[in-house]
Amino acid sequence: MIEFRGIRKTFGPKTVLDGVDLSIPDGEVFFLIGASGAGKSVLIKHLIGLLKPDSGEIILDGRDVSRLDKDALYEVRRVCAMVFQHSTLFDSMTCAENVALPLRKHRGLSMREALAEARRRLETVRMEAFADRYPPELGDGMRKRVAIARALTVDPRYVLFDEPTTSLDPVSARRVDRLIRELSDNLGVTSIVVSHDLQSIFSIADRIAFLYKGRLRMVGTPAEFRASDDPIVQQFTRGLAQGPMEV
Amino acid sequence: MSAAVRAILLDARELQSIFLRTLYWSFRGKREPGDVARQCYEVGNRSLFFLMVTMGFIGMILVFQSGLQALRVVPDLTMLGATFLEALVRDLGPSIGALMLATRVGAGIAAEIGSMVVTEQVDALRMCGVDPVDFLVVPRFVASMLMTTTLILLAGLVSFAAGGATAWFVFDVQPQTYMNLSLLDRGDVIIGLSKCLGYGAAIPIVSAWCGLTTRGGSEGVGAATTSAVVNSSLAVIFLDLLFSGAGFVIFDG
Repeated sequence: MIEFRGIRKTFGPKTVLDGVDLSIPDGEVFFLIGASGAGKSVLIKHLIGLLKPDSGEIILDGRDVSRLDKDALYEVRRVCAMVFQHSTLFDSMTCAENVALPLRKHRGLSMREALAEARRRLETVRMEAFADRYPPELGDGMRKRVAIARALTVDPRYVLFDEPTTSLDPVSARRVDRLIRELSDNLGVTSIVVSHDLQSIFSIADRIAFLYKGRLRMVGTPAEFRASDDPIVQQFTRGLAQGPMEV
Repeated sequence: MSAAVRAILLDARELQSIFLRTLYWSFRGKREPGDVARQCYEVGNRSLFFLMVTMGFIGMILVFQSGLQALRVVPDLTMLGATFLEALVRDLGPSIGALMLATRVGAGIAAEIGSMVVTEQVDALRMCGVDPVDFLVVPRFVASMLMTTTLILLAGLVSFAAGGATAWFVFDVQPQTYMNLSLLDRGDVIIGLSKCLGYGAAIPIVSAWCGLTTRGGSEGVGAATTSAVVNSSLAVIFLDLLFSGAGFVIFDG
């Protein structure tokens, strides 16, 4: 169970999050949507201690993440993994070495054991043939799949996806969608997905939260979003250029 | 407390934290085979030509200027090599060499780490259970201490030799007269080596701090790189004063 309670975050004079309250039960595929710069990525980075709120609490499995020290945060990052927007694989390491890194650091496996496990993990995302290739030699979709394999190596119970389908071709994007859905259905993993991809949002989300001007404008199921008569929600979910929404 | 003072104190605390974590991980961290060697190549081999040429020319300029001044005051150049060697070992070699390295190595470290910060690779390291200081700073720290000392020793030799050639061709000072070690003592060597190690430690720490605190996109990386060169150079000058003062007290001049 994840809970955000009254999260407020400012960067200089700009208030990005202005009192966000949100609960996400286990096993859900939860989408966080909103205009660019609305604070979606900022919000999920609080959950893994990459950012600290100015005020508020982030409760993960009963513990307030915002009060944990560095060592305790490493424990949180074992159960809560993140797939970054640009994959963020390390260019100086092969795909297998990238996937092996969390196994060695979080689980203390030897290099040989970690590499063997990394190859097995790469099979699950159909990237085993590219285990010895370096990230710059791969396309965006392939890098994203390796990044997902790396995030899943420590068998997290929560996975945060930051715009997982951005810059992917439609086929790769739908494959990533299917992978996220299967994580929840088969393994009970809770996924929080930051996305603008309307097709993803309405095809795999259990629930959606719409962040607007630092606050949650609406939280609901895809059907509730479709039926909403809020003109701002409607403009965003229909992708309309004209409307009341301020960006 | 004004915002400027608070910002300086926060920066100082961050710098101290990186320094202490670097020391901790230098002894406790597990390095990959070749990590330090790769950085030694980056810091050492790639700076070798630049440092040799710079220090060679500086040796020639300093001996030429010293010779001209000495001829005006005491028309005797028999101690030209001895005085230059003492100054070179005690101060000029380490300090000028380190200032040169601060520009090349410092800028490189800040740009590389800063780029990793803005592309979220440093956050990804944290998510993999890795302390970025252990992974990014420690190999550069160890390599810089080793290679700064080695490079400055080699560059000092080149500088002294280039100065000797200048003394011979311009002032007709014979090599056997120039090669005079009479003014060099144990204190000079200890101070010189201490400076090499101190500068070798300071440059990667200060530059990594600039890189790790990068904000924004490519503009932020540019600012971090400039800041690394300025702050590493300031650190070298500050340490020069500190080591020289300590050396003066400990070795009685």
